[in-house]
Amino acid sequence: MSVLTSSAGPTASAGSLGGPRSRSVVPGGCPLWVVPRPGPEIVSAKLWIRGGSSSDPRGQRGSHQLLAGLLSRGCGDHSGEALADQVEGLGAGLRCEASEDGLLISLKCAAADASQLLPLLLTLVQKPWLLHDQIDLERQLNLQALQRHREDPFQLAHDSLRQQLYGDGPYGHDPLGVEAELAAIARDGLSQQATQLGRQGAVLVLAGQPPANLEELLTREIGPGGWPTQAPLANPSWAPTHQPGSPCQRLAYNEEDTEQLVLMLGAATVPLGHRQGLALRLLHCHLGVGMSSRLFVTMREEHGLAYDVGVHHPARLGAAPFVFHLSSSAERAFQATNELLNEWQRLLEQPLTGDELALARAKFRGQEAMGRQTGSQVADRLALVLGHGLPADFTDRCLGELDRLEPADLLAAARELLASPSLSLCGPALALAEAEKAWQQHPLSA
Amino acid sequence: MQVLTRGVTHLVVSQVVSEGGVPVASTLTTDLVSGRTSLGEPQQRRLGQGAAVVSLDLPQAPVTCLDFWCRAGSAAETPAESGLAHFLEHMVFKGSERLGAGEFDLRVEALGGSSNAATGFDDVHYHVLVPPSAAAEAIDLLLDLVLAPRLDGQDFDMERQVVLEELAQSEDQPEEVAFQQLLSRACPGHAYGQPILGRRQALEGHRAGAMAAFHERLYRADNCCLAVAGPLGDGAIWEHLENSALASLARSDQPLSADSGPSSLQLHPGSDTVALPRLEAARLLMAWQVPAAGDLEAVIGCDLLTTLLAEGRRSRLVARLREQLRLVESIDLDLNGLEAGSLVLLEAVCESEHLPAVEAEIKRVIQELIAAPPPLAEVERAKRLVGNGYRFGLESAGSVAGLLGNNHLWGRHQPIQAPLDALAHWDPQRLWHELTPLLDPERAFCLRALPA
Repeated sequence: MSVLTSSAGPTASAGSLGGPRSRSVVPGGCPLWVVPRPGPEIVSAKLWIRGGSSSDPRGQRGSHQLLAGLLSRGCGDHSGEALADQVEGLGAGLRCEASEDGLLISLKCAAADASQLLPLLLTLVQKPWLLHDQIDLERQLNLQALQRHREDPFQLAHDSLRQQLYGDGPYGHDPLGVEAELAAIARDGLSQQATQLGRQGAVLVLAGQPPANLEELLTREIGPGGWPTQAPLANPSWAPTHQPGSPCQRLAYNEEDTEQLVLMLGAATVPLGHRQGLALRLLHCHLGVGMSSRLFVTMREEHGLAYDVGVHHPARLGAAPFVFHLSSSAERAFQATNELLNEWQRLLEQPLTGDELALARAKFRGQEAMGRQTGSQVADRLALVLGHGLPADFTDRCLGELDRLEPADLLAAARELLASPSLSLCGPALALAEAEKAWQQHPLSA
Repeated sequence: MQVLTRGVTHLVVSQVVSEGGVPVASTLTTDLVSGRTSLGEPQQRRLGQGAAVVSLDLPQAPVTCLDFWCRAGSAAETPAESGLAHFLEHMVFKGSERLGAGEFDLRVEALGGSSNAATGFDDVHYHVLVPPSAAAEAIDLLLDLVLAPRLDGQDFDMERQVVLEELAQSEDQPEEVAFQQLLSRACPGHAYGQPILGRRQALEGHRAGAMAAFHERLYRADNCCLAVAGPLGDGAIWEHLENSALASLARSDQPLSADSGPSSLQLHPGSDTVALPRLEAARLLMAWQVPAAGDLEAVIGCDLLTTLLAEGRRSRLVARLREQLRLVESIDLDLNGLEAGSLVLLEAVCESEHLPAVEAEIKRVIQELIAAPPPLAEVERAKRLVGNGYRFGLESAGSVAGLLGNNHLWGRHQPIQAPLDALAHWDPQRLWHELTPLLDPERAFCLRALPA
């Protein structure tokens, strides 16, 4: 089982979106997918490890991002400086970051340099040094980043919305953390967390033109036993955890002396692989993808209410947020709020027309094709799907199901998942008052 | 930051990463031994009255990118036309005589494609990504939109609101305000010191007729270039282009001289301090003038210097200020290639009380570079990063079309390989002798921005 057979036959048809790819297993249990690509002599690697900021221990919010930042600050036989010298000296890119659901290590380099750099990947996760001095530095950088984010009214509105939707639940905080807790995280906790890396599953995807002797390269520094992990399981125990609050909790403000009012209107929905996930993603295409999208056309082209308007609906292992966002002049706060609420209400009342659904499907297909232009994009998308415990041909299956979804299915999903949205605002006092008036008069606040 | 796009900006939610660590390569790579890219060479032609077309066949690409470029950025505006270049870029999508408002977006997106546009100081461009089979149709749609915009008065008033919202949105980001203040002080009396979005008062007063005149004056054959990158197949696309609206586009009434473009830049060194509302962390911003985009070799050399100074954990400024002295949260140094004179822009983010030390240390690091040639290994590292950055950037049709379109618009008919060849011409001694003096802090404008 720990034999890596990079010549394993293609598991997907050559006609699928991802193109031909092969699967094997790195000693210890990590699935390894290789997507060969002709053209530029590049290797893009994505190592996705289950367990991100949503797994931050109680009182240590920010610890996964802190740990991610520390991995490249010393591991195995490499000091942080030596590692940076090696990576930068080859003109490569290496990045370790935490998202809500996982840690992602990304490496991009010239194919000729891959043999020198790939051995680092598993050393990063298995043998991080976690030096006190580097913990202090990384922690300080994250604290300062949190402080700087408060300059951005969108960030402020988003932070409040996160609280409204998830409270103190796993998605209730920024992956960077909560200042007071981040300031107090100790090395012991990080070290404990580091030993757990991979226990919930991991997957490695390489796209481009990787070398042939991958097993030898990947285990060169960590030993033939490899790294104990396994393929991530499908969404282990998902259930909605946080109920929408009463109407007053469903409205949140940040008073800021800005020109515009930022509005975010959203609900916590379902995981990527949920039976209604595809319906929501089609609604996302309909409402927020491209210049012909519903929100862009109504809010911007017809009313001139905004420059920036759209939908935020990231893939998540748990209850993914589904959010409308818009920023409009303070003077037009009432109108902007009212129109945005009307758009949400419309989702709950009217099915899409046949033309609208056809356009949303075309956008969904188009996005899948456009999102596979580079090796990093290909690796990123495959790692995400596999990291969620979904089959490698998940996207192809979704494309197959697209034509079976009808307007009534989308309407049903909206009614079930989007019935009770929360509104988060950031802007000057007068605009907040106008927006609140619009909210209170609107059926959605009932 | 020099470019404003029309597009839907996707909400970026705290994707703050421990950047600065090891760089995420921004952009191509080969083995530096041969230093070749795997791409062919661009084909270029002139149509009808002289409009340029440049193309590159990318047989494996899943999409084709069309990118229309015009020398009609904000630097082409008269003072009364403030903001008109960017406003026009918005209005173009409101339709032509043949295409209704929104029809272009709908038709492109129904094909699974996407489009966007961006206005800079020097130029504006409109790009479309479509499945390769739809390239010919998309060319016709794009040219119709860009060359014959309707500029209807009612649409004009509505879109003015959108542009004013865009301006308000940027004014709510104190970092953007700080950069604008830096440029207005460093480049007084020059287009690069003026906001691309325009002055609010000017925007409120614009009329559709003035925009039509601006379009008529600048969107001419000798001012435009269409770039096409993707699977081109049998070349039928050329025949299609010969019969397109681009082939019948007239030349300018007053022929452009070979070097027409924005008037040459003379950056004013100096320093100033401002207090900005809603700023949470202090900023030290600096701007230097370096050779214009037309001087490819010098620009590549400057790219090497900025990389050596501030790309990655082991670069001099990051290593000293962030890793060692721990004075900054981040420090960035960007090279902005511009036709009238490129700009190197520095941004350091720090606590207010550290600002004087940050300024002193940045100047010390740069003076050290000016005092002695950099070691060979440091220059080799920078060459790898710059070379790979360029090669990584050639992976998608969109970035290839953008690169070709911009270069050919400004008469740089160079092989894809040219930047990589230029890299090889630099060694530590020459970099030190010819280029490091340009980064002398005495030649920079330095703006300290503090939380109000």
